Amino acid sequence: MSVARKRLRYIARRLGQAVPIVLGIVVTNFFLLQLAPGDAADVLAGEAGSATPEYMAMLRQRFGLDQPLFTQLFYYVKNVLLLDLGFSFRHNMPVLHLILERLGPTLLLMGATLVLSVASGVLLGLLAATRVGSWRDTMISILAIVSYATPLFWVGLMLIVAFSLKLDWLPATGMESVGMFYSGWERVVDVSRHLVLPAITLSLFYMALYARLMRAAMIEQSRMDYVTTARAKGLSERRVTFRHVLRNALLPVFTMAGVQTGNLLGGSVIVESVFGWPGLGLLAFQSLFARDFNLLLGIFFLSACLVVIVNLLVDLLYTFVDPRIEVG
Amino acid sequence: MSADDIAQRWDRRTFLKGTGTVAAGAALGSWLLPGSTLAAKPKVGGTLVHLVQPEVPTLATFLSTSIPVSQAGTRAYAGLLEYNFDLSPKPSLAESWTVTDQGRTVTFKLRRGVKFHDGKPLTSADVQFSIMEVLKKFHPRAANSFKEVEKIETPDPQTAVFRLNKPAPYMMMVLSGFETPIVPKHLFEGTDIKNSKYANEPVGAGPFKFVEWKRGQYIRFDRFGDYFKSGQPYLERVVVRSIADTATRSAVLEKGEVHLAGFGAVPYSDVIQLAKLPHITVTKKGYESSSPIVQIDFNTRKAPFDNKKVRQAVAYALERKYIIDKIWFGFGRVATGPINSNFKASGLYTSDVKNYEVANGLEIANRLLDEAGFKRNASGVRFEVTHDITPYGEEWQRFGEYVKQRLDQLGIKVTLRYEDVATWLRRVYTEYDFQFTSNWLQTFPDPVIGVHRMHHSASIRKGTVFVNNTGWSSPKTDELMDKAAIEPDAAKRAQLYKEFQQIVVEECAITYIHELEFPTIYNNKYVEIIDSALGVLGNFDQAYLKS
Repeated sequence: MSVARKRLRYIARRLGQAVPIVLGIVVTNFFLLQLAPGDAADVLAGEAGSATPEYMAMLRQRFGLDQPLFTQLFYYVKNVLLLDLGFSFRHNMPVLHLILERLGPTLLLMGATLVLSVASGVLLGLLAATRVGSWRDTMISILAIVSYATPLFWVGLMLIVAFSLKLDWLPATGMESVGMFYSGWERVVDVSRHLVLPAITLSLFYMALYARLMRAAMIEQSRMDYVTTARAKGLSERRVTFRHVLRNALLPVFTMAGVQTGNLLGGSVIVESVFGWPGLGLLAFQSLFARDFNLLLGIFFLSACLVVIVNLLVDLLYTFVDPRIEVG
Repeated sequence: MSADDIAQRWDRRTFLKGTGTVAAGAALGSWLLPGSTLAAKPKVGGTLVHLVQPEVPTLATFLSTSIPVSQAGTRAYAGLLEYNFDLSPKPSLAESWTVTDQGRTVTFKLRRGVKFHDGKPLTSADVQFSIMEVLKKFHPRAANSFKEVEKIETPDPQTAVFRLNKPAPYMMMVLSGFETPIVPKHLFEGTDIKNSKYANEPVGAGPFKFVEWKRGQYIRFDRFGDYFKSGQPYLERVVVRSIADTATRSAVLEKGEVHLAGFGAVPYSDVIQLAKLPHITVTKKGYESSSPIVQIDFNTRKAPFDNKKVRQAVAYALERKYIIDKIWFGFGRVATGPINSNFKASGLYTSDVKNYEVANGLEIANRLLDEAGFKRNASGVRFEVTHDITPYGEEWQRFGEYVKQRLDQLGIKVTLRYEDVATWLRRVYTEYDFQFTSNWLQTFPDPVIGVHRMHHSASIRKGTVFVNNTGWSSPKTDELMDKAAIEPDAAKRAQLYKEFQQIVVEECAITYIHELEFPTIYNNKYVEIIDSALGVLGNFDQAYLKS
């Protein structure tokens, strides 16, 4: 069997296995959310400032909240299987539509963060590990600890104060300049400018993590016998580092990055709220407080799918970084 | 600089020093420059970015009265009337109105040539349809506001005749584009109004036309060229944005990325800082139609607050001036009772009630608690209670902490509880599982709409939010409210409300702390934004960009 066919079969099997897992997550989430007191009608009426009992009853009926719990669950799961994520009564819109609108910005921010944090983390880890104990190593370690320990919202605000308010280099909030309605290349530049601060903010934490992980992995690998062998063969230090050590040291970093994609969505709640980034994290956060459970379940469903896919990608990536690893 | 600018700057200064009133400042401003060069005729142009917090879920002001929904949606809608700062009505879609038949017939003459955003003319049939078929059925407050409206006749396209079962003077206060948006019958008729597609793409006769909504980013309204006030509006565009983080909100106002924020969107401490910037103006005007009051609700069903003396003791113990100055940074006035002092002009407000804001409050409170039979035990504690904090942000937490410390001095041991909005609403209004809670209620442009709901026996409705949760009511006060609701004579109505206020304040099921004064912060290259009692809920049709 060719490698490509093997890979395809592997992907199909993994995706098949994911279906019951994701469904299990959906059902669990459904019950978890029932634990929160108060419902969407309470919140909507609360925001309205006043409402008649008839109005409240009308809302509950409309939202299906007057149905027994298991009936609600049954319909929900049935709909999810048909890829219908339901209707957000709060937003008066289909959940899928709302999520898709926010998915682009989230993927953009997550993607940029992932690339930025892995690239800079790997680089810093590499720089530190190649001169263990030097001032360079110490500086990088300090930087990593500081960025790991600093709260995200504070970093974000300080970046806004420095680069937006004081220096006026970059916009403070949003994904695009409001009221400018750019298109084409101009829009790409505009969005990129808006992306810089949030992506850096969200990356710092993960960069620190990957830098430390990378450094440890490099040091560990460089003590292995195969490195000694390579050196004994007379390979240059550069070749030993890049051809041998680096490849092996990258694997734990990729594993970690894969596992953390889910977390990234959580971390982005803070970054999105500080920078007014129109992503899913903030939408999830707001839906919880508004008890807009259809929407929240939809977001959970999507992020579960996202985590499954990213982990699959990471596993495939292994086979490219280290051809000795086979899918099967 | 126009007289208006002077007035606005003056407004800011008086506000900063905390002396003088807004009205006096404005009057003095125009007096300083008698016959000053009037503002050059405003030119069309400019994009006003309006920061609305929290994020807007829909634009259906005909289904929701939530503050964010209204702040965004009202751009598109016009109402029959508008209101001056003293809450007196002025024409809008209705050119004139007459009240006949002892207050049971109200006839509105509509302006000619009014168009909806889709180009179709607005007629009395739209008014009838909006009120009878949309608002009365689906709007959270209209069922009450238009309770007495039996039918609306439309003898001709320019005339709408409201036939009432009983006189309803309060109805005249809710006819703005915010509270009673007139929607196009031809688009709504025969559709499922609850799930209307126009919920998120409003079509009205207001000054700004909905263009697009990029969720999570902005909502865009452009100038409606066929608006019925010729030449208006002046702004080319109004864009609504939300930013979840409070500190960022202050930063973007400072930077000028957004130009306007009202309803406490920025923390009070930051408002003080922003007000010092030359390009920022802060005003307290524009909340007359909401007239919010901060209060403490006692659950009178259970000990210890079933005892009037205990409730009064708490009322005496809290220093309202201190709370306003230290917790709300001066944004408020001492409240005396259920009716906001904004109603002074209409005669409905009285300060002739029992006064709890006295220097020796703690002393009186201790005496009352002794009389009520709650003696201190060996460790000086009389009893223990749990206080629920309103889940709307930091000030409320500080307020809760203050209540705890203050009552501690009376020997009342307080445990504080802070939950999220949905949980708190459930606890306080559905389960009545609370002892006393801080709260704030809008009293709206008339007591029938805003005040009755907190005191009437008929408003003790389990599961309905922001109604009578204390469980206290009396046949006497019910009668006073019922009479006042349908009393067309202003003086007689005032007398009824005076007696009502005296009883309610004495009984103290709720203790009134302060009349909340929200700051509205705006970039002063825009003028005339806050031009009516509706403030940021108004339609901005007079606002313009200074050239």
